[in-house]
Formats: sequence, C-alpha cells, structure tokens
Amino acid sequence: MISLIVNQKPYQVEVDPNMPLLWVIRDVIGLTGTKYGCGVAQCGACTVHLNGEAVRSCVTRVSRASGQKIVTIEGLSENNNHPLQLTWQEIDVPQCGYCHSGQIMSAAVLLRENPNPTDKNIDEAMSGNICRCGTYLRIRKAIHMAAERQKTHTIL
Amino acid sequence: MNQVTRRSFLKNSGGAGIALWLGISTWDYTDKTSNIYESKNFTPYIIVDSDGSITIFNTKPEMGQGTFQSIPALIAEEFEVSFDQITIKQSNGEPAFGPNQRAGGSASIRTSYSDLRKVGASAREVFILAASTQWQVDASSCYAENGKVIHKPTNRSLTYGQLVVEASKLDLPKEPKLKDPKDFKILGKMASRPDVPLKTCGKAEFGIDVRLPNMLYASVERCPVIGGTLKSFDATDAVKIAGVEKVAGVERVIGKYHSVGVAVIANSYWTAVQARKKLKIEWDTASFETFNTPEYEDHLRALASQDGLLDKNIGSVDSLQLQPQNTIEAFYETPMEAHHPLETLNCVAQVSGDQVEIWVSTQVPSNVTGTGEFDLHKYIGVAPENIKMHTKFIGGGFGRRLYIDFIIEAVNIAKLTDKPVKLIWSREDATEQGPFRPMTFSQLKGGLSEDGKLLSFQHKVIGPSLMESRDGNFDKTKVDSAMVEGIGVQAYEFPNLKTSYVRADFHIPVASWRSVTSSTVAFPPECFLDELAYKAKKDPMDFRLELLSKPSDTKRVLLKLREMSHWDEPLPKGSGRGVAQWEFFAGLGGQVVEVTYRPDKSIKIDKVYAVIDLGEVVNPDNVVHQVQGAIVMALGAATKPCITFKNGKVEQHNFYDDLLVRMYEVPEIEVAILAEGGPVKGVGEPGLPPFAPALANAIFAATGKRIRKLPFDINNI
Amino acid sequence: MKEQSEIKLHLLFPLKTMIVMAVVLLAISMTFAFRSRNNIMGNTKNDNAINTDSAESVKAFMQVYKVLMSPACMNCHPAGDAPLQGLDGHPHTMNVKRGKDGTGLYAAKCSNCHQPQNTPGSHTPPGSPDWQLPPENMKMIFQGRTPHQLALQLMNYNQNGHKNKEQLIAHARTTLVKKGWDLGEGRIQPPMSYSSFVIVWDEWIKKGGYAPGQ
Repeated sequence: MISLIVNQKPYQVEVDPNMPLLWVIRDVIGLTGTKYGCGVAQCGACTVHLNGEAVRSCVTRVSRASGQKIVTIEGLSENNNHPLQLTWQEIDVPQCGYCHSGQIMSAAVLLRENPNPTDKNIDEAMSGNICRCGTYLRIRKAIHMAAERQKTHTIL
Repeated sequence: MNQVTRRSFLKNSGGAGIALWLGISTWDYTDKTSNIYESKNFTPYIIVDSDGSITIFNTKPEMGQGTFQSIPALIAEEFEVSFDQITIKQSNGEPAFGPNQRAGGSASIRTSYSDLRKVGASAREVFILAASTQWQVDASSCYAENGKVIHKPTNRSLTYGQLVVEASKLDLPKEPKLKDPKDFKILGKMASRPDVPLKTCGKAEFGIDVRLPNMLYASVERCPVIGGTLKSFDATDAVKIAGVEKVAGVERVIGKYHSVGVAVIANSYWTAVQARKKLKIEWDTASFETFNTPEYEDHLRALASQDGLLDKNIGSVDSLQLQPQNTIEAFYETPMEAHHPLETLNCVAQVSGDQVEIWVSTQVPSNVTGTGEFDLHKYIGVAPENIKMHTKFIGGGFGRRLYIDFIIEAVNIAKLTDKPVKLIWSREDATEQGPFRPMTFSQLKGGLSEDGKLLSFQHKVIGPSLMESRDGNFDKTKVDSAMVEGIGVQAYEFPNLKTSYVRADFHIPVASWRSVTSSTVAFPPECFLDELAYKAKKDPMDFRLELLSKPSDTKRVLLKLREMSHWDEPLPKGSGRGVAQWEFFAGLGGQVVEVTYRPDKSIKIDKVYAVIDLGEVVNPDNVVHQVQGAIVMALGAATKPCITFKNGKVEQHNFYDDLLVRMYEVPEIEVAILAEGGPVKGVGEPGLPPFAPALANAIFAATGKRIRKLPFDINNI
Repeated sequence: MKEQSEIKLHLLFPLKTMIVMAVVLLAISMTFAFRSRNNIMGNTKNDNAINTDSAESVKAFMQVYKVLMSPACMNCHPAGDAPLQGLDGHPHTMNVKRGKDGTGLYAAKCSNCHQPQNTPGSHTPPGSPDWQLPPENMKMIFQGRTPHQLALQLMNYNQNGHKNKEQLIAHARTTLVKKGWDLGEGRIQPPMSYSSFVIVWDEWIKKGGYAPGQ
C-alpha cells in the first residue's frame, strides 16, 4: 500500500511500486488532467509538481512519490485562476489543448523561480514540453503576460 | 434527390418543458463518398428549452482548429444569441445530423458557412413571427437580439424561452434573410473559444480520458515488419501477470490493408503493457523484411524515367523548341512523415450483444455511425443503427484520425469481453505502425525564352498512391488525383504546362497528413520557380507576378506578401528572403521567410510572413493561430528526421528519434488575413505547403545553396 | 698524545649552521621538483615521494584518459552550458542547461526526468540519486582537453572540486562515477570495465598523478 498526497488530499493506492506515477494518477486515482504523450520523458505532457518540481510522471515511479507532495493541473489553483491559467484563457493559448496541462505546470515552476523571465529563460524552461499544434508563440506571450501581471499585483 | 421539407418539431427535453428542435432538412443521401464536402444537409442544430436554455450543436469534432466556437458561431450570429447564452454540445454521429459530421480537409467552415447561417436565420425568423403574432403586430416591426424578440415601437420583449411553445408550431422559412455582415456581432470578430478554459485546468475530456465503471484496458503487439502476418503466439508468461484478463489475436483494417495483432486485456493500461512485453510471437514477415528506404528511393528515382499518367497538358510542352541553355531540370525528394498527434490513438468500446457503444476522439463520427462502404459497420459486422458513439475532444488530428482502423481494432477487442475496453496505442506503436504520409519525388523541367520569360513548365510526381492504399480496387490506369493535387491548377499563366504522375508500388499503408499531398508536391514547383527565376536573372517575386497578369487571389496574396515583408528593401549580406504560395482544395496561402546564415553554418529564421486568403473569416484570432501552428508543423517536416525503413521495420520509435519542433526553435510568425468576400476558403491546412519552399528559397538567397531534398539539417548548410 | 692534530675544518659557516642550511636546501629542492611535475598546491598529504614513478603514472593516465573522454563520462563534463548526449556527444536535446549549481533550470532540472535509478526500457532517461552536471563555478570540463590538460586539471585542487589525492581516489568509487558503466538498456560502455578503470585510476594517482607531456 502506497500513500500519496495529491492536491492536498491523501490517497492509499495498492499498486506495484514500480508503476509510473502517471498511470496511478490517471487510472487509479482518476485525475485525467495529466496526460500520456510519449512515456519516455520526451514530451512533457505528463508534468506534475513533486514537492514543487516539474517532474515527468511517466518515468517517475510511484514509490518515489510516496509521502511526497504531488500537485496536478487540477490542483494548481482553486478556480482555474492561477495567473498562467488566466492569461492562457485570455489569449486562447491552446488549440487541441492536450499538451497544456504539462505546459502550464512547467511554466508555473518558471514563474515561481523567475518572476521576470526573458525569452531565453522561457526557452530554457519550456523546451521540454512539446506542442504538436504549434502554439509555442502564444505560450511565450502568455508567460510574459502573467509575469507582468504578477509584477503589478506585487506593487499594489 | 434533394428534398426540401420544412420541419419543426417538438422534442421533450425531459422535465424542463418543451424544447424546439430546429432545422431545415434537405436530406441528400445519395452518398457521394468521393466528395464529402458537397452535402447540403441541414439538421437539427438548435434546442431551445422553455426555461430559456439554448443548446447549439457542433458537428465538426474539435481538434484544436476551433470548430467548437466557429461552427456554433455561424448559427448563433443569425439566431441572435450570444455565446454567454448558449451551451455547446458535440454531435455524436447521429443520422439526424447528416453524413458530414467530419472535421478535415479544412472544410468545416467553408462547406457550412451559408448553410449554418441559414439554420440560425430561419430559427430567428420563426421566433420573431411567434412574438409578432402574440403581440398582434407586424413582424417587420420586431427584431431579435440576445435571445429575445423586441417590438421596436413599444420596446416590449419576449425571450426565446417564453416563445418556444408558439414558435414550435410554425413552419421554418425556406429562404430566411441573412444578416448584413456590417451587423455582425460574432462573425469576423476576435472571439474567445469556450473549450479553452476546460483545457487550462485538465477538465476537457479527450478520448484517452474516458473512464467507465468496470472498464478494462488493452495494448496490442503488432508485427514490427509492416505487412507481416501472425503465425502463432504464446501468452503463458503474459497471463501470469496479475490483472491480465485475456490475450487474443485482433484484426485491424486500414484502407485495403488487413492485419492481425495480439491484444492483451488487463485491469490497467500499465499492466497490459507489461504483459505485452512477455508475449512470445511468431510472425511471418513474408519477405517484407527486405524493404529498406534507401533502395526504395533509388527505385523511385529510376521510375522518373517513365512517362507515367498524364494529368494536365496545356499548350504544347513536347513540341516546343527550346534552347538547351535556357532549360533546367531538377529532382526533388520529400519523405514519409508520421502524424504524431500528442494524444496517442485510443478508443473505448463496449459490445453488448448486437449493440456497440464507442467513446473516441475521431475526426469522422459519420464514418463510425454511417452506412457507407467504408464505414465502421462494414468492418465489425454490426448494423449501423446499432452503433452508438460519443465524440470527445481530440488531442490532435492532422489527418490521422480520419481513419477508423484503431476503432475497428478496439471493437474487435471489446468483442472478447462484455466490459468496456480502452485500447491505447503507445507512442512507439504510432511511430512504428503508421499509416504515414507517403514520400513523393518530383521531376521538374522548365524552359525560358531568350529574354527570360517562362515558356514551359513540367512537373512529374513519382510515388505511392493514396487512393490505392485506401481501395484495392482503385483503377491504376487512371491518375490518382490525390497525388497530383494542386500541381496543375496554380493561377500562374504557364504558356505550356505538363503535369503527370508515376505510381509506385508500395506495401505500407499511407494516409492524409495535414495538407495531404500539397505538403510534399508544393515544395518542388515553388522551389523550381525560384531556380528558373535566378536563371532568368529575375527577382523571384517579379518572376511570379509576371505569370499573373490577370487579377487573381494568388496575385493579391503575393502583392500583400511583397508589402508586408518589405520585399524590396535590401537585406544585409548573409541574409536572404524566399517566397512561395500554394493553392489547393483547402484554400490559398503564401509566405515569405527571412533567414540569416550564421558563421557556424546554421540558419536562423529571422521571421516568417504569412498571408492566408479566406473570402470570409469567422474567428480571425483563431485563423492566425492555425496558420502559425501549420508553419511550426511544416518546419518540423522540413528540418527534422523523417520516417525511414530498415529490414522492413520503421527505424524511428518515439520523440527521441522522430523529433518534433520545440519552443526554442520557433521563429517570429506574422499572419495577415485577406477576407475580401467571395467563396469561403479553408483555414487549417493552407499555412503548411508554402513554408518549406519559402524557407529553401530564402536559404538559397542567403547562401547560394539549393536544397532539393527534405528533411535537411538547418544547423548545417 | 697531544701530537695528533685536530683537523680543523675551515668552513664558511659554523658546522651547525651548515647542517641546517643543507637540510633546508634539500627540502626546498624536493618541494620544487614535486610541484613542477604535479602542480599541486596545498597538498601536503600522501606525497609518497618514494613511490612516484612518472613513467608508470603517465602510462596509467593514458588509460584513464580513454575512459574519461568516452561519451559515458564526457557527456556530463561538457565544455559548454549544456550536457552532451549519445554516442556522438551531440548537445542534449530539449535545450537543457547546466544552471548555476549544475542541476538544471526551472522545469528542465536534471531530476525532473532523470530518476534516482535508471528508467526501464530503451532510450529512457538513465538515473542516479545525484544526477547532475558539475556546477558553473567548478565545471570540471573533459570535452576538448588534451591528456596533459586533463591530468593537470584533475590533480588541481582548485579545479577538481577541492579534492586531495585521497578524495580523488575515493571519487572513482562514488555512485555517479560508477553510473558511467550502468547507463541502461542499449547504452554504450566505457572502453574498459569499471574494475580495470579503478586499477589505472588508482595507479595514476598513487604513482604521483603525473601529467603526460604537452
């Protein structure tokens, strides 16, 4: 039996400790916002926060996450209102939308560690997340917008 | 044939009162499967409840191209409701919605633009009539706005909800009056897409997300040598794994190709995958293991010497007397590609007796529930009326989800149990099994007059046939029109033009890949025009405009490109610009790419200017998004590794060797929309074909090096 | 008999002083030779001057060099800002970077993908609990180094992560170094076995840690 804390809720799951966290989250716990895209840490669609870090859950054993703090896209904000989720909505960043759980989770780590990211920083943070629809230009713009907003809010 | 019946009927919406289900029915079931875009089938699109709630249906599955907003927009505009007032639902292949519940070919808007506006307009008129009757005033003194009918002189109003009972008794008008575009509130304006908020918090349900009680999961081992057949398998070790329910052979059909794989059904996807690794399978590779890409490419090059089948012959190419020094010839090669929608293929199916229920991300609900020759019912032996489906958000289509092969496979798996089963293809499965965009090679020949005018242009396409892959009975003595798409119909006034096609045998299933054959056959002629231009010592933009003396959409596109890219302003040494345009079934687009050649031999794409010619535009913001996305996809196809075969197997497996474009590689892309009235053109695909030739032309301008084979390494020119 | 004459040494300095001076000179000369061969500063342990053998040491290092310059080791000791990848040592895909402390940046930190152990399957990320590059201020670059340069660098306290000889010897026994031989399914092996490597590594250091000529 493995104990997990996902989006602040405790779960007890009876699974093989080697099962990737991704499948535990999706198939056992039932949170399907985190996606399967490649299974080999190439595309980033499976990105969740493990103690705040943007890990690829498709290669993370559930045992690594045992007792640790896991946040999925569903738990990133109370009301779909993380600054990134808001700017993502404001300029219609997603097309098909499949990669965007991972994109937002990665961008959230970037903004937390660098409230003023340059384009280079965005390249460094976000190039592990593939978007087949090619929405990269808007992802970049939405990150800049969210960073701007956060600045204004701090001032206020 | 075409039967126009005016119908309105009551539908009990269960509890909330009476709902009006509206539509003009023009049933045209002479199913011309060769052109799915001709149907004028208006079907029940609107439900109005007496409590005021309004539902509008989208019959074109949403795969990121924005139909979830743009299709209802056409109706909502004329029906005078705002998006705040409506709930949008996806149609699920129900026959009532007609045979065109399909998203593909950039056809969703362009084939529905007037029809759906008429649906909304006729509904509007009926509600106005209902109100005016109730008030005993003239209908012309009333207007509709925001889901209400208002009597202008007195300002009294009634909501659609209040009017629905009366409205449901009226006949729908045959030819409703459409709004004047200057009064548009939704169409032509930037609009937020209502599916976006679902996609930013993990709530949008894709096919792969479907969860049902007692659901099982399946993973299939398929012959790695495409074309091989199953001889036998030993599942002894596989079934030992806890949670494995069953292992069995299952058939999959794509086009004319039938294959059998070994399916593992288990209580979780991961368990099924682990068990699959334990299978011991004997395949009969039937000599397909001798297939290797380099040899096949040599074969295609050799085929180029054949005349092939004639497509177009304008003027007298063959009898022209051209000076040899004024002629050039060039050979272009474009490769196989995988679609790689980020949501891997999947399908949930449940078979209960003679009933089948399916939950799936598919571009073609009509092929799942339809009655045609190539529809699902034919492959699974179930009557179409016993097939029920649920259309989900699609995590990327690009043409891969035009095919129902994985749905056939999933149903065959579901037949092995009475529980619902979710089949998931791994990324490796998708990369290794295809189907793929076929490679096409092109032989170009051109001749100039003494004073550098284009006299003769020949384009011979060589490669496998899409139609033949689809239908084993395809008449090989005829040109596969899909393989010569666009090459003979550009607006250029070629005095002498000859296009032809040499079909190559091929045993690998091939498929439409975003912009279909235009994604490969636009590259050669648009590059070759530049080669001719340079030979004639003319600017490539001028050279093209010389061939466009008459007004045309193409000319407008090129002139717009010329202006927005500052074409005539010189660039510093080491930088260069290239132009290309392409017109085909999907629409018309052009691009100018600006590049710089760096000392380390890499090319930096400084900027891409894109123009798309639309006629009418529904959501301009979405159009820009689509064109940018198409360009990113084209960049990948031009500069990243492609699909190759060795010993009959695909050499690539996942994103570590079939690379896709990433954030740090995307240039600035500026998009201009031309929407000056006229026939509505498509949005999803036209942004793709011009990119590779515009890029190659820009690289030539900057470096003097001509690229004729894709993909090429953009970091090493 | 008082007849035996006392030999009187007419020395420049008194004898005692001479002896002290001789010892000091000897000490200085010994230190000077050691440093010029080994460029070690502040390393006062394990001189083992008696066991140094420059020829044997250099011979051992040439074997060490083969291993360290193989992709299994060199890929994480790059000259630039990004780790290298694969047999051909191309820059790691996905634009990942070293970052200040060598653990990567933002949502592309090494441990975001590289787990505490190898991930099963081929072409999956290899893993180790401490998977990372050397930090920015102590890059420990192998890429592009000649044997001469690499040997000097490895023995240089200020460039080798502040390791003395003992620590250098221990370093070859650490998890991350051993990882080079255990990178997962289908991956390359260094040109000699781990146990053979340890033998030549130890020998090189114990025999003086000499650098080959330029």
